This record gives sequence, structure tokens and C-alpha cells, in this order.
Amino acid sequence: MKSWLLHQVLTHPIRLIIVNILFTMLFAYGLKWMIVDDNFMNMLPKDIESRRVWEEVETEFGSSEMMFIAFGNSGKSIYHQESFKSVWDLTELIEKSPYVDEVISISTMNRMDSNDGFMEVDDLQPNRILSVEAIQNIKIYLDKNPDVKARVIGKSGDFMSLAVRPKNNQVTMFTKDVLAVTDSLLTNYQVHYAGNSYITGVVPQIIQKDVTSLMGIGIIIMVIMLLANLRNISAVAMVMLIIMMSMVSMLGSMGWLFHLTGIEYFHFSMMNTSMPIVLLTIANSDGVHFITRFFREVRKKGNVNEAVTTSLNALFLPIFLTSLTTAMAFMTLISSPIKHMMGYGIAIAFGILWAWILSVTILPSIIVLKKWDLNSVALSQTSYLERWIERLGQKILVVPKRVLTFGVLLIFIVSFGLWKVNVEVNVIKFFKPGNPIRESSEFIDRELTGSMSLLFKSTGDMKDPNVLNDMLLIQEKAESFPQSNTSISIADVIKSMHKVVMDDDPNYETIPETRGKVNNLFTMYSMSGNSDDFNSLVDYDYETGLITSLLNSISTNESVEMVTELESFIKKNVTSKLDIKISGMVVFLRDFVDLVVRSSFISIGLSIIIIFMIAWIFFGSFRWGLLSIIPLSSAIILNFGLMGHFEVHLSHMTALLTSIIIGVGVDFAIHYIAEFRRNSRKGYTIDEVSVKTIEDVGYPILLDVASNMGFAALLFSALIPLNYMGGLMVFAMVSTSLGTLTLLATIVEIFKKNLYKK
Amino acid sequence: MNLIKLILISILFHSLFALTGIELAQLVDDRESPKDMKSNMNMILTNKNGKIRTSSIRSYSTDGNKKQILWFLAPADDKGVAYLKIEHEDKNDDMKLWLPNFKKVRRISSRKKTESFMGSDMSYEDMTSRNMDEYSYSISGSEKVNDIDCYILESIPNEIKTEYSRHISWITKNSHLTIKEKSFDKNGELLKSKSIIYQQIKMYDIMKELNVKNVQRNHQTVLKFDNIEVDSGIEDNIFHEKNLKRIPK
Repeated sequence: MKSWLLHQVLTHPIRLIIVNILFTMLFAYGLKWMIVDDNFMNMLPKDIESRRVWEEVETEFGSSEMMFIAFGNSGKSIYHQESFKSVWDLTELIEKSPYVDEVISISTMNRMDSNDGFMEVDDLQPNRILSVEAIQNIKIYLDKNPDVKARVIGKSGDFMSLAVRPKNNQVTMFTKDVLAVTDSLLTNYQVHYAGNSYITGVVPQIIQKDVTSLMGIGIIIMVIMLLANLRNISAVAMVMLIIMMSMVSMLGSMGWLFHLTGIEYFHFSMMNTSMPIVLLTIANSDGVHFITRFFREVRKKGNVNEAVTTSLNALFLPIFLTSLTTAMAFMTLISSPIKHMMGYGIAIAFGILWAWILSVTILPSIIVLKKWDLNSVALSQTSYLERWIERLGQKILVVPKRVLTFGVLLIFIVSFGLWKVNVEVNVIKFFKPGNPIRESSEFIDRELTGSMSLLFKSTGDMKDPNVLNDMLLIQEKAESFPQSNTSISIADVIKSMHKVVMDDDPNYETIPETRGKVNNLFTMYSMSGNSDDFNSLVDYDYETGLITSLLNSISTNESVEMVTELESFIKKNVTSKLDIKISGMVVFLRDFVDLVVRSSFISIGLSIIIIFMIAWIFFGSFRWGLLSIIPLSSAIILNFGLMGHFEVHLSHMTALLTSIIIGVGVDFAIHYIAEFRRNSRKGYTIDEVSVKTIEDVGYPILLDVASNMGFAALLFSALIPLNYMGGLMVFAMVSTSLGTLTLLATIVEIFKKNLYKK
Repeated sequence: MNLIKLILISILFHSLFALTGIELAQLVDDRESPKDMKSNMNMILTNKNGKIRTSSIRSYSTDGNKKQILWFLAPADDKGVAYLKIEHEDKNDDMKLWLPNFKKVRRISSRKKTESFMGSDMSYEDMTSRNMDEYSYSISGSEKVNDIDCYILESIPNEIKTEYSRHISWITKNSHLTIKEKSFDKNGELLKSKSIIYQQIKMYDIMKELNVKNVQRNHQTVLKFDNIEVDSGIEDNIFHEKNLKRIPK
């Protein structure tokens, strides 16, 4: 196969280029069917118990994940004609969006009064333009009803808030529509937004924007680094060509796979954001290894065809092996609980294998066709990095035991951090402190009812006073947590109606003592108000109710503590026939994150085993198999150990991004081992072979690392997960390259007698 | 030449004697109705998930429903609840409710005419007859509904507080009965669609079944009337608070 390929490259380079271009165009044609799915909710698995309860709640009562909008001017009373006009207009315009299910604001809420013997249900804000008296009247009503007030007016009285419920969880379009209205109407106010539907709606746009711009910077830096070291524009263009062709083929393959299977896991979702970066790194690595090798060989041989032949002979197997191991490692994502990761794994595996084919076909073909100036600086002189690595290699190999001891000690110390790794997610902490989204959410947590909710699906007879009293008991307990601001259920409404029907006597702000009385209150409301007003609190058959506890942004760990305590409280104190299931986004996230973290570890473990097996089979030695996974395993221990030491929480996002290490981490070890075996068989003595190997692979490894440092630009993103992605890229590159050039190189040097010519 | 004359005369004749929207609305409004009516109403509500609620109500009314008293017979939870309504031209309507479990009569008020009546798809606005002066009428054509020739009457509210932007009614040509109606919300979207079946009792066309669907909420109300008695001489003093407490036999 290698000989056939070499023959094709040397004798029919144009034909090979055309065939590759045609295939790439065919794959790229799939872009036509590629769907960008930026709805985060579509990616969440549906077979977790808390998700099932959450979905049951949302089917019956509508989406629980509201977007909160607060507007006003600090220090200036919101009880002003203009504010009421604004909230009226805002509500009317937002309600027009097809993605909005409901708007809860002063202008849509009802008031219930006992007025001169009347039970009166009326609009809280009856008209757009209100007189001073009407505004004062609203203020008096709200002051008398603090639970209602808390939902629409800020604690300092200078902000007004709206809660907007999305329809069918189409959060991206929903957020876009709502923001378009607020941007045009609330120009004279300070505006704050919060809520899960808002965050999940805007995050994909921020990711898209940041990744596009910061990745652009990363690519520019990559080009500069390559140019500085290769010192030849054509060579850099060739590497970039491999990257671009493999990239469009990978993305096109997602379109093809979706077109052919109809499976939505092949949509390009938020989860797939890291794919282009990972492939870019891998394709860059393939190209850099080939080009640097070619330069080295042409310098020695002074003949392009001979240099291409030697380079292809030397790199055919290692590039194939690195591509195969990485592709297989990514295929383990098929087992991920996030089904979109299956599409991720398959498409990136395809991209990696295509990058390999391009690196060994089109790249040598172009090299053969190009007229090279053999006297140019690039081809006649080594670069600074190349000279530096040769010196470094010699130093490492002088004291291999000391270097190895230091490396092992470092990993040993850092590994203690593994036990300190904390799995925790607080969605709002995905944003850096000072970020407007984080500050807005914190404002709403502080000044209004909070931006998260805990849902208690309450199954029982919603007209039974015992059941209703138990619901109040649970609400009281939920409100006792410092993270909780308020709670609402049908029991609150029954209490208020009871007071109204008993001539506004506050002693009757209780649940009536008989079922018949409770039923009379429901009937009375249906005659004077709109029974639809209860749709978000109780189902049509009065068999299921919903308690919503409004919370500040809390982490999954805090939610675990809260839910555990509440469940134990319910077990001990609920005496009626009331069945409670606690759910909501925050509870679901707790279960989801655990699942993702566990499956990510399984995926990493499986990847290591696969890499070990492949190296064992192709290098024909168990020892080489074991050595091939040392740099990757060390990098993984360092990554998670340092996360533990530096208290970087492990979330579903960070766990998923860890696959980047696998993507970039396996290549170097395989290149090193392949080169060592090749050199030992080429006649270098046992004492020369390690030095020669570092000279051959050290430069491409370091150039690969240096050219990928541009992705550190992602550290400047507003989103912590993107910072992590950028940091992880840099960390994975540095740790696996150092792992290869220190740990692996010294182990090989120490045990060279057992490994030479094996 | 004679043909042209004939056409012109026919156009002139048609424009002189054709029915206008307001005239048709007047004809509908002028239809003979009973002085009083007793009936049993069965109300079946179906929500978007197909869940059903049913109620059975005994109703007495006079003056085209301007005075009405309702006693709930079923479901068991609601049995005994009663409702009295007296409409006034010059002041707010009187609405009283007997709550048997509280043993209290409570006056209720809904200033919001757009609120639904008893959880049904009919609002208070739907249940009161439209004031002729508050609407502009036009006939937009004619069409057969269930093989009955109908005018299509479009009614657009003038400056009044309403949840609708317009109604399109199918009115039978021979007896001026509204047998179908579509009502549109303020955004011009279809909100409710109604169909009505009548029966002849004495000399009157009396509603036998009303089907209202709120297409936006995907909620449906079917009202069926039976045991109907008309002009039975209901006395005015029946519309009194004290009669709420006892269901008539």
C-alpha cells in the first residue's frame, strides 16, 4: 500500500490531487444538509428520572424555566406613569412573539379584592396610561400583598420585573425575540435579564461569536508561528490547505450523515463547538510532521523526490496510527449520555481519517509538483526551534534518571488533587465575575425573586384541606433556606380567596377546614375571574398541583443539600395523601452532570485502552503499547489533579472538553515510538538512537505545540467553559509534548537495552 | 340596446332593495324571542389534553337573559351553588353567588368582560347581546352552511372595550338565525369559532346546542339545552337572593 501510494505520488501527483479535491468537494457538499442546532435543551437526555418529572410538570403547567426582565433606574421610584406605560407596551409586544407562551407582569396580573361586600377580580393595571391615583392604588394593593409585590417590584421599589415563559422550550428564538423588543423599548432604563431560558438562549450566540473571533486569532497566530519556523509561505499554505480540506469534509460529513440517517444527533450543536479546534490541531500536527520531515530530508539529500520518499516511508505508519488511535478514541463518545456526542465522535473520527489521507496523498503530491529553491534559508538551514530541541534532547538524555524522577514525583504530588476534584455546576458561574449576564442575574437574585426555580410536583386531591395545608408546610420549609426568595402554589391562592370571601378578615387567610368550602372558592373564582389563571398552579382535574420555589442561582451541590433536606422533611412531616416529586432544571443538572462526568471518565479510560491495544498490535510489543499511553495518562492525571488542587470545579462542560486531551495527546508518543524503532533498525547505535529520535520528532512536536498556542486566545472569552477549552488546549499540548520528550524519552533511554530493535 | 337597459334597471333595482349590513343585523336583533325560559344546561368542557369537565345547571331567565338564575346540579362538588345575575343599562350588573358550604351569599363582580364564564370558552361579552350602535356592519357575501343559504355578516366593533377585532357571522337567509360565527382577536387572528343548532319551540327558534372552540387555547365548550319551557310565566320575584338557596324541582 505504501509503495503503491509512493508510486502514485511520484508519478501521478496531479491525478492524486484532483481525486482528493473531488472527494473533498463531495464531502463538502454535505454542508447543504448540515443543521446548526443551538437549542441547548435538545441536547439533554430524556431518560433521567428528574428530567421525566420535569417534563411532566412542563407538559401540564408550561415551561418552568422563565426569562426574567427587570427594568428601572437605580434610586428612582418605579411607581411612575412612564414605567407603567413601558411595562404595558413591553408585555403586549412580547406576547406577540410565537415563541412566547405567557408574560407575567403588572399589566397581565389580576387583583382580587373584597370591596364593599363584593368579591372583585380585576386587572392589576387596568389601562396603559394611569392617573397618579390609580398608580397609588396599585402601590397600596401591592404593599398589602407582599407575595404578589415580590414577583413584580424590586425590593428597593426602583425596578419592575416581568417573567416570560417560553413556548415549547424554543429558547434561542424566544430570547432573540424578547431581546429585540426590550432593546427597542427600554432605552431609557437600566435593564437586567436572568433565568435559565435566557442563559440557555444567549449562551450559544456568545459561544458562536467568541469561538469565531478567538479561533480566528488562534489561526492567525498558528500561521505566524509556522511561518517563523518553516520560513516558507508555500509550506505554511500546504499545512493550512490540509486543515481547511479536512475541516470542510468533517462538517460536510455531518450534513451527509444527517441527510442519510435523519438522526438529529448529527446536527451541529453547542456541544460540537470544540470539534473544529480539535480537528485543526490534529490536521495541523499531520501536516507539520510531514513538512518538517521533508525539509529535514531535502536538506540532507538535496533531492525533492528522494526526500518525499523518505518522509513518506518514515511517517506513513505513525500518521496512520495517530489518526487511527485518535479516531477510535473519539468513537468512544458513542457511549455518552448526551446523544449529540455520538454525532461528534463519528464526524470527528471521519475528519481525522480524512486529514490522514490528505496528509499522505495531496501533501506529498503538491510537494513533488512545486519547484523548490534548495538554496533558500528554509531548506538549507535549520530553524532556531530545531536547534534548540536538539540541545534540549541532549541535555535530557544526559541525566535521564533525574528527569524521570522529577517527572514521576511531579505526577505523584499532583495526583493527590484527584481526590479533591469537585463536581459542581452553577450555570451563572459559567460567566466571569463582572460579566453583564452574571451581574444581571445576581441583581435579580438580590433585588427580585431570583432566577432559578425548584419544582415540587404535588399529586393528591387539590381540594383536600389536608393536602393544601401540607403544601403550605413544604413551602414554609423551602422558604427557610437562605437561597430561597419566595414560593407559590394553589394553596396560596386558596388562602387569599378565603380571606376575601370572609370580608377581608386576615384571620381567615388560611385553608378552609372542609373540602366543600375549598370547592366553593374554586367555583366562585371561575364565576368572577378566569379559571385559566390557575393553569400554572393546578391541573384540569385538580389532581396535581405545582409548588414553585423561586431561588437565587445555586450550584448543583447546594441543590443536592436542599433537595435531600426537603425530601427528609416531607417524609417526616407530610401526613396527607400527597405525593411529592422534586425537580426542575437545577435538580436535573445535578443528575445530568454526575452522569456526564462518569461517562466522560469511562470514555477516557476506554480511549486509553484502545490506544494501548492499537499500539500493541501495530508495534507488535506489549511494552510499546504500555509506553504509548504514558504521556496521555500523565497529562490526564495532571489535568484533573491540578483541577483538584486549584479548586476548578468539574462540570458537564469541562468533563466533555477533556476529550480534547485525547485528541491532541496521543500523537506525540506514537511519533516518538515509531521514530525510535525506525532509527534503531536503520543502524544507529544503541547510544545514538535516543538522541537521533529526539532530533527527528522533537522539532515537529514542538512546532506543533507552538503553532497551537494561539488557542490560548480562548482564555479571553466571556465564558468560563471556553476559557477552559483554550486553557485545556494549551495544557494538553504542553503536558503531552513534555510527557513525550521527558517521561517517555527518559524511560525509553533507561530501558533502551530492552527496547532497541524491538 | 334593450339588453343594456335591462341590466341597468336590474342593477338599480338591486341597489335600491338589497339588504345592507345594518339592516341584516337589525333583522337578527328583531327576531321574536320568548319572554322567559326555563331549561337544563349541560356544559361539557374539553381542554387541550382531551380532559373533560361536565356540569349540569338548571336555568331560569327572562328579558332575553337580562335576568338569570342558575342552580348547579352536578358535579357533586358544585351541587347547591347558585348564581343570580340582573343586568342594568345604567349601572354595573348585579351578580350574586350562593356558596352552600360557607352558607353565604357573596356578591361577585367581574369588570373584565373578557374573562371566561365558569371556565368555559364563552366570556361575559359573548353572553350579552351586542348593542347595535357599537358595531359597524357589512355583508361580505353569501354561502351555504349545511345546505342552508346564509348571508355572511361582518361586524367590526367601534370604539368599545372588547377582546375582538371583528366577527364574521353566517346568518340564515330565511329566518335570520346565526348558525356559525368566527371571532378574531385584536391581532386579527382567529380566536373562537362557534356553531349553533336551533329547535322550534312554540313560535320560537331556541338554541339547542352551542359549540364554541377557542382555537388559540385548543379548548372546547359544548352547551346542550333540554327540558326547555318557554313563556311559562316566570315571576319577577324569582330573581331574588333568597331563591338561590333552594334548587327548584
